[in-house]
Amino acid sequence: MNNIETSGSTALSLRNVTKTYVMGADTVHALRGVSIDIDRNEYVAVMGPSGSGKSTLMHLIGCLDVPTSGTYSLEGRMVAEMSESQLAEIRNRQIGFVFQTFNLIPRSNIFHNVELPLVYGGVGKAERRERTELAIKRVGLTDRMKHKPNELSGGQRQRVAIARALVFDPSIILADEPTGNLDSKTGDEIMTVLDGLHDAGQTIILVTHEDYIARHALRTVRLLDGSIESDVKNGLGAGGNH
Amino acid sequence: MKLAIDIGESFQIAISAIRANKARGVLTTLGIIIGIIAVVLTMTAANGLHNQFRQSFAAVGADVIYVSRMPWVVMGDFFTYRNRPAIELREARELEGRLRGRGIVNPSMSTQRDVKYRAETIDAMRIVGTTEKQMLVSSGRPQSGRFIMGSDVTYKKNVCVIGTNVRDGLFGSANPLNKKIKIGRAVFRVIGVMEEQGGSFLGGPNFDRQIFVPITSYVKAFGGQRGRQSVNISVKAPSKEAMEDFEFVVIGEMRKIRKLRPAEPDNFSINKLDTLVGAFNNVMGVVLLVGLLVTSISLFVGGVGVMNIMFVSVTERTREIGIRKAIGAKRRSILLQFLFESAIICLLGGVIGIVLASLLTAVINTVLMPASVSVSIVIVAVTVAVAVGVVAGFVPAWRGSKLDPVEALRYE
Ligand SMILES: Nc1ncnc2c1ncn2[C@@H]1O[C@H](COP(=O)(O)OP(=O)(O)O)[C@@H](O)[C@H]1O
Ligand SMILES: [Mg+2]
Repeated sequence: MNNIETSGSTALSLRNVTKTYVMGADTVHALRGVSIDIDRNEYVAVMGPSGSGKSTLMHLIGCLDVPTSGTYSLEGRMVAEMSESQLAEIRNRQIGFVFQTFNLIPRSNIFHNVELPLVYGGVGKAERRERTELAIKRVGLTDRMKHKPNELSGGQRQRVAIARALVFDPSIILADEPTGNLDSKTGDEIMTVLDGLHDAGQTIILVTHEDYIARHALRTVRLLDGSIESDVKNGLGAGGNH
Repeated sequence: MKLAIDIGESFQIAISAIRANKARGVLTTLGIIIGIIAVVLTMTAANGLHNQFRQSFAAVGADVIYVSRMPWVVMGDFFTYRNRPAIELREARELEGRLRGRGIVNPSMSTQRDVKYRAETIDAMRIVGTTEKQMLVSSGRPQSGRFIMGSDVTYKKNVCVIGTNVRDGLFGSANPLNKKIKIGRAVFRVIGVMEEQGGSFLGGPNFDRQIFVPITSYVKAFGGQRGRQSVNISVKAPSKEAMEDFEFVVIGEMRKIRKLRPAEPDNFSINKLDTLVGAFNNVMGVVLLVGLLVTSISLFVGGVGVMNIMFVSVTERTREIGIRKAIGAKRRSILLQFLFESAIICLLGGVIGIVLASLLTAVINTVLMPASVSVSIVIVAVTVAVAVGVVAGFVPAWRGSKLDPVEALRYE
């Protein structure tokens, strides 16, 4: 439906996207023709067995990588036509990544880790400080600003990663198994934070293996062997499953 | 604005990375340290030599041609020069006559004698017989008393003008004027003390150890002409620009005086400050060449070491590069980050090198020759160190900046 693509509420749109890795003689088809539209303020869980292409899909959506074929438009802009430097700018301003392994810079303190996207975005010092402190406050770590990542618990580190992801007000937050390295209680805390962001209007795409995590989202996309197996709205209001 | 922030961030990353690996950083900079020491010492030596040369030969006028039996700097077969006839005072007078109105001519002769005043003796002073025209062909001036006058020459007065070393050696702090000193076996009255000229340069004459006497008294006291002592003739050219043409005039007149046939070679030598400058440049060339060699070898070795360390640093931080790219770092930012790190490592080496070289220079200054590390040398050394860092860090930094973000993030 064309009107979906042109409507002002579409955050991103993939059409027949494939991703193929060539490793010597082997060719791995990580994605085999994926088409999906995600609107602003959606909360999507991507599920599927290991190796089904979830991370690959996140990388493409997050402009860390480009499709082998197919088209991808983000906020109305065609990603395939972008230069490396433009992709870096998209990652910087429009995308906020949260990784399973937190991926903080170990030598930098919490404040600087969260500040970093603003640094790369060329934001001035005063504004950086203000936005960084705000982001850290939103994840409840104001008292840990001067600490190094290795002085924090796993859950706290992931909250730092979330603060870093949201500090530049991105269009989308992409979280690839954000609770994968955490116990279920800490995982719940992280999900509470993400739920809060969604309630505040943030678009979130989340990869998970766990049904109870996926239930936080309002839509679930299941991948199998590089293709979309199902794409359903969660919860009662939408009249879907569960 | 953006670049400034980038640079600030790169600087911070570099400092913290180096702090985390202090020992490694210092070790790799050993080559840089030695290289920078070599840079500083070479330039300091060259500066020192140059200053000393200028100081020592300030008395040698740039617009003066010196006619003498021997060249100052002997090249080739010494014996062809040995057989030349000595230049006689008569010839000097004749040259003066022929050049009248064109150039000022001053004859001089020199020898060595022990000099005595009461109980004090100094050995082997350079005794120079000259005329009042010495003042017109040389920049040396008396600091007290007066110089030789025309009448001293005409009346063969036994008066002398001494250098500062002679004064210090014979009189200490007492006033030397009008004192009688013994030069060889003759007695001369001190009428003046020359200004200090600075020490000798690489075994050249030390003008502070000279004694000027009227050339006529010189001949009388030290028997100049019969001993086949040769006269040196200084001829001041009308201007520095006219030097080259004037040299041919002087050669022509000298050949006429000596009745040389066209086929015969000159049996006298023309010397100029340029001759000394040439010789000096040869010495300087050797110093610079050796310095450059040591410098480039150690900087090369140091640079390769730093390049290695930077490859290790980039590899170790592959994942960090992935993270930075994922949150929006461009290639330029990553490149700058590692270039800064490399440049700062080398800068640290450079600073250590400068400090060590300054200490060495202080030692040289007290035992060998006046030397000091100037600001410009420090600036050059710092620039060289940073340049080596940038060059050595470029390939590793480039490689780091080109890493694929997804690959880099998967790196364990
Ligand atoms: N950089 C890569 N090079 C080669 N193969 C890759 C690469 N990234 C992913 N793959 C392969 O693509 C497939 C999908 O991987 P991935 O997207 O990471 O799956 P998931 O996140 O769902 O576990 C897997 O077979 C994986 O081995
Ligand atoms: Mg994965």
